[in-house]
Amino acid sequence: MEARLETGPLVSTEPVMAWRAWMLWYRRRAAEPVLLRPIVGSTRPWPPAEPARATCVRPKLHRAPFPHCTCGLYATRSEELLRRTRNPAVVGTVALWGRVIEHELGYRAEYAYPQRLQLVCYLCFFTWGVHGTHPTVAVQPARGQLTPLCPEHLDLSARYGFPTQRWMPADEVEGALLAAYRVDLLRR
Amino acid sequence: MNIGKERRIIEVEPVTSPLPEVLPMPVPEKEPELEPAEPGS
Ligand SMILES: [Zn+2]
Ligand SMILES: [Zn+2]
Repeated sequence: MEARLETGPLVSTEPVMAWRAWMLWYRRRAAEPVLLRPIVGSTRPWPPAEPARATCVRPKLHRAPFPHCTCGLYATRSEELLRRTRNPAVVGTVALWGRVIEHELGYRAEYAYPQRLQLVCYLCFFTWGVHGTHPTVAVQPARGQLTPLCPEHLDLSARYGFPTQRWMPADEVEGALLAAYRVDLLRR
Repeated sequence: MNIGKERRIIEVEPVTSPLPEVLPMPVPEKEPELEPAEPGS
């Protein structure tokens, strides 16, 4: 039988904790040079020190997230599910609040703020998950982009012609990211 | 990202800020009227 939304929303005072992956946004001269940006959709970074807020492409019609629409800030229940994400650079936990639409495997939220973050080598993350990835460099394949890689996958990427000439130490990039959002490292 | 079927709506109004302690609690915005007003209403 088709699952149906309950008529009245559940009200809670506890933010929903979930998992999410991002790409890295990089502008050398910006006040906060390293920020999180969505992997799909908007290329705008998540603002530091203030909540990310969902908007719909049809903002006049409804508040995001809206039932049966695709709008909202996406997050998953498990870290496992994020492994299928295309080229993540950062994985972490997020707090969700405001209107939150619960799905079977995740959520669409109105407001979100990262809680704990870490850089991931996307190739290691795909295979071993968040605790099996230890990137040492963040290469800059194109302007404004940073791709964290472990030594092995840096080597492999270079051999396959991925631009790896420009790079920075991963811990510096990670440090700048954590400082921008004032959050802690996920990795223990 | 496929997060499966919708289950329910939760309205979360946190009593403590989900932002790091070093940051001030965001001032709750007054939500604008969500439904477009009916013509003439
Ligand atoms: Zn929408
Ligand atoms: Zn790797």
